[in-house]
Amino acid sequence: MTDVVAFRNATKSFRGNPAVKNVDFTLRRGEVHALLGENGAGKSTLTKVLAGLYPLTSGEMLMDGKAVSFASPAEAMENGVAMVFQETNLVPSMTVAQNIFLGDEKFFNRIRGINIQAQQHLQRMSFHVEPTALVSGLGAAKKQMVEIARAVHHKARIFIFDEPTATLTPEEKQHFFDLMDRLKGEGASIIFISHALEEALSVADRISILRDGELVVTDDAGAFSRESIIQAMVGRQLTGELYGEGGRQRVARKPGERVLAIENLSMGKVVRNATLSVFAGQVTGLFGLVGAGRTEMMKIAAGVLRRDFFHGGVVRLNGVPVRFRVPRQAVSRGIAYVTEDRKYDGLFTTMGVMQNVYQGKLARGSNPVEFVRMEDVQHQAQEWIERLNVRAIGGDAKVVELSGGNQQKVVIAKSLIQEPSVVIFDEPTRGVDVGAIAEIHQTIERLADAGAAIVVISSYLPEILNLSDRILVARQGRIVEEMMIEEATEEKIMYAAVH
Amino acid sequence: MRSLAPGPASLVKSQEGIVFLLALLAFLAFALFLPAFFSAGNLLTLVRSVSILGILALGMALVVVGRGIDVSMVATMVVSVSWAFALSRSGYPLEVALLIGAGFALLTGIIIGFAVAVGEVPPIFATLAAGSIIYGLGRTFFFTLEMQNVPPGEDWFALIGQGRILGIPVTVVAFAMLCFVAHILLSRTRFGWQLYAMGNNPEAAKITGVPFRPMVVAQYAISAFVAFGAGLILASSASAINARLYNSTFIYDILLVVVLGGIGLNGGHGKIRNVILGTMFVGILLNGMTIMNIPFTVQNLVKGVVLLFAIIIDSLVNPRDEQTSQQGDL
Repeated sequence: MTDVVAFRNATKSFRGNPAVKNVDFTLRRGEVHALLGENGAGKSTLTKVLAGLYPLTSGEMLMDGKAVSFASPAEAMENGVAMVFQETNLVPSMTVAQNIFLGDEKFFNRIRGINIQAQQHLQRMSFHVEPTALVSGLGAAKKQMVEIARAVHHKARIFIFDEPTATLTPEEKQHFFDLMDRLKGEGASIIFISHALEEALSVADRISILRDGELVVTDDAGAFSRESIIQAMVGRQLTGELYGEGGRQRVARKPGERVLAIENLSMGKVVRNATLSVFAGQVTGLFGLVGAGRTEMMKIAAGVLRRDFFHGGVVRLNGVPVRFRVPRQAVSRGIAYVTEDRKYDGLFTTMGVMQNVYQGKLARGSNPVEFVRMEDVQHQAQEWIERLNVRAIGGDAKVVELSGGNQQKVVIAKSLIQEPSVVIFDEPTRGVDVGAIAEIHQTIERLADAGAAIVVISSYLPEILNLSDRILVARQGRIVEEMMIEEATEEKIMYAAVH
Repeated sequence: MRSLAPGPASLVKSQEGIVFLLALLAFLAFALFLPAFFSAGNLLTLVRSVSILGILALGMALVVVGRGIDVSMVATMVVSVSWAFALSRSGYPLEVALLIGAGFALLTGIIIGFAVAVGEVPPIFATLAAGSIIYGLGRTFFFTLEMQNVPPGEDWFALIGQGRILGIPVTVVAFAMLCFVAHILLSRTRFGWQLYAMGNNPEAAKITGVPFRPMVVAQYAISAFVAFGAGLILASSASAINARLYNSTFIYDILLVVVLGGIGLNGGHGKIRNVILGTMFVGILLNGMTIMNIPFTVQNLVKGVVLLFAIIIDSLVNPRDEQTSQQGDL
């Protein structure tokens, strides 16, 4: 078989940090090639290069033997590459037919003509979707079909599916796999990114595994077993002294009181019947792959999201059922949620470092016309800035001028100045430099030593193993595994997290 | 942080500096070429009329800093005051009637606040609709004449708009005092700090624990109450209030002051000195054009062009998407 796409020594760096390192990857004509790896292993980055979203930093990309580089997704599309994202790129307010023809309209369009053409197109692929239906009214599976139909209409011959089955029901999945078969039969090549190992094993012709941006192994699917895949996914050389020997020699802190308990929590399709407990004086690590609902579980506990009114389950704080409708209620009861996306809902970009930190303190009070005493701001904000070792040129420095690590420390300080008894860290070291990671980890350890109940949500296994006393693994909206640090291994955790 | 006393170089670069220079230039030009401009009588009129505009702009600024906008202020102003006058004519003591008017203004502000905070209606639509509703209610149920004179026999009322304290018109004193109060509120109180937080990053403000919805309601309640106060001064200085003001371009003058002064429409930016600056500039411009006998429609044309440019400059100086803050991002 011939190679349709080949990456030669491909590297893609963001600000000097390689997300993909020296990868040699080939995609053959008429094959389904599964791309596996942890979150952040570089799967998405690699495929996004192919789809024209990023250029390569070094190395080359060959298509049919010729070196190519796509400046935009539109250009990739012209060359037959279509990427179907987890969240679809359809226009919800338009009909199925309009979406299929989007970007390819003639100057004059007859709705009826488009509908008829779309109908024929959909029937040829045996998709049971009404061309006149609005996309906003379709389920996840049908949206995916429309997206695929659109890609086929645009004469795509290389399809990239990023987590296509995450939101599908079993029947819909079967339908999707049939469709992949059909595309394959017509000579298309498919890259299939998934966390579901069984699916990859059953539908893929070849499997490639990425770890920390490097290609570990590529082989025929028949050569792999579930165990060998997991082994390859996590078997990393631990990165330097930062993550030492994992959690092996660590002994768990003794659990204190059960501070936060979540019972049968549900929210939409994301959190389904989750049950977990968090104890004082301990770090509880919460691991899960993308879409496992771990962030949502904790956001509900912190009042950031709201659960289903009738079947939502119970959240208990110190044994008492609570129902927070806004974060303020949770904050005043001592629950702090440190966001995973500091740019979106963490930082006040127009303000200085001290003002950012002091906003946390202000939020604990209620009298709106109470005066802000400048010496208090100086004193208290400065104290936390020093405790967390935020490096900025004076407290007046704007937060946008800081590095990612220092910004993260500001966000953490803003929460810690509220003296919470439960702190939820969501991906506390995302986009943070190595030095700051160590400092943030120390801060988290110290908090737990001081008796606070800590939750660390992370998709990076070494971080979970390094910090946690107790590890919870989330999968498909529930907690499926609980283990103490002494018994935890990367393989065990990953085994529970994949499905 | 920007220093409080910008040097000449930064004066030209910052928006405030440009507006300040323009205001100065306009003032000097008018003073030189328009004999009627630089007379004691006209300057007094200027300062007085500008004060009402400035007071309304203070209320507007508060809402704009919190990433909102209140285009119902003029409607609230004319209806609450006109209703009070109508009530007074029908037998209520003026004091009681004014209290009812104030209560009405506050109520409209609170209802708008709820629509924005709880109903999550975009502020521009909520207040646009509210303005129309308030005016409609007023003209249909509360009073019929669009011109409402100050009820006779209440001499004290005239003092608000026409009296003087130490030779300075009460109007100007009121504007100055409100500026001071607003400045303290914004820069020194929890309310002010949290207002900037909400305007800058609403999501972060919520997560941090800012009482988001009460704060939104409070903003619109304050702006409505300020509108009522401005209405009192306006009615007192003119001995009447004309409900047709709602149909004029007055609300755009207020917005012009706020935007031109340098309070970013995307929230979280700007101080009271920006309002004062904007008031000065717009006041001088409007007064000068009136003296030059420029037709009303041409005046509107000029104001419209200036407002458009101010908004364009605003969106360049304060970009809405934080493209500038990409540092440290992965």
